[in-house]
Amino acid sequence: MNATGEPRPVLKSPGHSGRRRDAFVSLCSGLPGGPTAVVAALLVLMPVVLPSRTMATEILIFAMATLACNLLLGYGGLLSFGQAIFFGSGAYLSSLVMMHGGFGLLPALLTAAVAGAILAALVGALAIRRTGIYFVMMTLAFNQTAYFIAYTLSDWTGGDNGLLDVPRPPLTLFGVTLADLSDATAYYVFTAVLFFLIFIAVRKVIASPFGSTLIAVRENEARAGALGYDTRNFKITAFALSGAVTAPAGALYAMLLNFAPLENIQLSMSENIVIMTVIGGTGSLLGSLLGAGSWVIISDILAEIWPRWLILTGGALILIVLYLPGGLWGGVESLMRRFRGGGTPHAPDGIPNNDGSTAQPME
Amino acid sequence: MNRRTFLKTGLAATSLMMTPPLLRHSLAAEPVTFYGLKSMSGAYASYGEFAEKGSKLAVDDYGLLLGEKPRYVTIDTEGNPGRTVRKVQEAVQQQNARLFGGCTLSSTALAVGKEINKVGGVFMTPAGADEITASECNKATFRWTVPTYGAIQQTVRPLFESNPKAKRWYSITPQYVFGEALLTASKNLFAELGIEHVGNSYHSTQEQEYSGYLTNAAAANPDVLLILGFGGNGASCLRQAANFGMKSKMTILLAWTQGLDWFQSLGPDLLEGVYLGAQYWHQVDAPVNNALVKRTREVYGINPNYPLAGDYIITKIIFDAVAEAGTTDGAAVIKAMEGMQYDGPTGPEMVRAQDHQVIKDYYLLRGKGKAAMKDRDDLATVVSSGKSFPEGDQILCKMS
Repeated sequence: MNATGEPRPVLKSPGHSGRRRDAFVSLCSGLPGGPTAVVAALLVLMPVVLPSRTMATEILIFAMATLACNLLLGYGGLLSFGQAIFFGSGAYLSSLVMMHGGFGLLPALLTAAVAGAILAALVGALAIRRTGIYFVMMTLAFNQTAYFIAYTLSDWTGGDNGLLDVPRPPLTLFGVTLADLSDATAYYVFTAVLFFLIFIAVRKVIASPFGSTLIAVRENEARAGALGYDTRNFKITAFALSGAVTAPAGALYAMLLNFAPLENIQLSMSENIVIMTVIGGTGSLLGSLLGAGSWVIISDILAEIWPRWLILTGGALILIVLYLPGGLWGGVESLMRRFRGGGTPHAPDGIPNNDGSTAQPME
Repeated sequence: MNRRTFLKTGLAATSLMMTPPLLRHSLAAEPVTFYGLKSMSGAYASYGEFAEKGSKLAVDDYGLLLGEKPRYVTIDTEGNPGRTVRKVQEAVQQQNARLFGGCTLSSTALAVGKEINKVGGVFMTPAGADEITASECNKATFRWTVPTYGAIQQTVRPLFESNPKAKRWYSITPQYVFGEALLTASKNLFAELGIEHVGNSYHSTQEQEYSGYLTNAAAANPDVLLILGFGGNGASCLRQAANFGMKSKMTILLAWTQGLDWFQSLGPDLLEGVYLGAQYWHQVDAPVNNALVKRTREVYGINPNYPLAGDYIITKIIFDAVAEAGTTDGAAVIKAMEGMQYDGPTGPEMVRAQDHQVIKDYYLLRGKGKAAMKDRDDLATVVSSGKSFPEGDQILCKMS
């Protein structure tokens, strides 16, 4: 962990650490608590500066999913195109237990989290049997399978029409109603608190010995194995954690819309989550919020400018990968560094290897 | 962050949350405002472009409504149900929007209808899903499109009655809710008419290669090939059936097509002799349609197609109801719409109060050859038309 509390996403040399610490210190100077305080400030500002609280809530929900993807991609080096499996399953499962099982808000979210973790562990256990492009293809194939299962089970999922009449229950604890979430502001506050807690939890995971070992596995799996670590278990656990965060995000999305569309479990949702992760910056938890926010806002703006706006976002993605390999957050860091006039840019994606080369964001 | 800082931050946060958003739009506009849900971007942008033209034409031509010129606002659905619902929520919360119309995708229409019903608004759609005016019907939602039951009744029945010897039918069906609904309606009618259903092939909506299904169909030696896919599915299936030489060996019927713009993309060589079901046809001789064709040519230089005509009449119906109710209050507008009889693009139309389904004609068309065409849009001729809707116990709507 660095001076401002940001967990280190890399194994690095002491000299490099010093330079990065400077950058973070400069960025977060005057903000108590470092990245956590930055996130807290953003959570307060978002509903004020954005056009609507509903949009702010959507951004936080996708930021949660991006955070979970970042855990896999940025810290585990696992490029998963299967995140929509967990997002969609979380949406469907939480909706069904609320609609047919009488579950309240928190039990439904907990159900989604547990189911997401189990599902992700299963997908991860099979997918990590292959590496590189084959691993990616496996996650993609799992996503397609999940999509067609959801499509076929239309009695449960609504199929192509989506699952309608998803409730948004009040927040209750031990039978006591704490808040009615039907209002957009109340729901935003609830989602923001949940996001904040998840952000802190993920930071703690990254800063823990598990997180450090996960990064070690990403950097050099053979070396980590030689040191006695069961690399397979670390990857499966990373998947499970990612599923446990992504599925509640899907559940929150269904409650936001009162509806769980089939699109939640489509491959395009996985692609969007990966794109948001890359745009924000792999290996940076703050970048997840930045990536999700910019994706939702930019697509809203571009859709009004040009019907084929996805071409523009494709172009933007190419530019970011080429010129801002550390994503938008990497760009912010570079700007701050230049502003301060100190340090030198670190490796493009902010995740340098021990030998100074750039880490490949892929298993 | 220590406890004191945390408390201070929390207090500041609460204060900030209570302030109005800086970028929030102003509340309720003065003129009557119609919110058009159109797929202006994404996969269905070509449809949304025509639909928007229809709504804009209706708004521009309406004159004064409640003493002022009505206003039109497009909400881009992006072909994405989730984002559409969010945008509708925003319009309701920030602009006090209550009058909505449009939606290309059935899933979007279903979800949006529920959302608008919660806030006491009004929503009318040309979307295809039967559930809109059946199992998922609600007080706010109205539907202009003829359901699958009517589409099959008005295509299979007249085609069979014109050639009763064509008793062997084979169907090719996209495997999803809409395809199943068309197939069920077909099977029921086959049983009633004594048609032998010699086989059915299911395909996914992602399917591009139909040779296997067409080989099975040819092997069953049917008199009629009934294609239940539409859009890209229907086009690919028809193209490959023509390549297989099936047009000359059997009658081909596509029970549900998108109409003129879809026909234009396929061309007369492919469509000649093929039977086509349609919700709207610009050559229909009806007063409102004649006026719509004239105005569309004047304003846009084209003939109206299904999305343009559908969204035109949807917008006009809602405005007429507002004028009759003398208010934009949802309940009053709904009351004015229920049972409304009017001249529409298909002739006399009526909004059935029981399920909010518009009772209108559906058309059986026959593709023309190039030599028979009088102009570039004269791609088909009307074989028959009529109204067929579930009645009595068959109406599944339990209005909430």
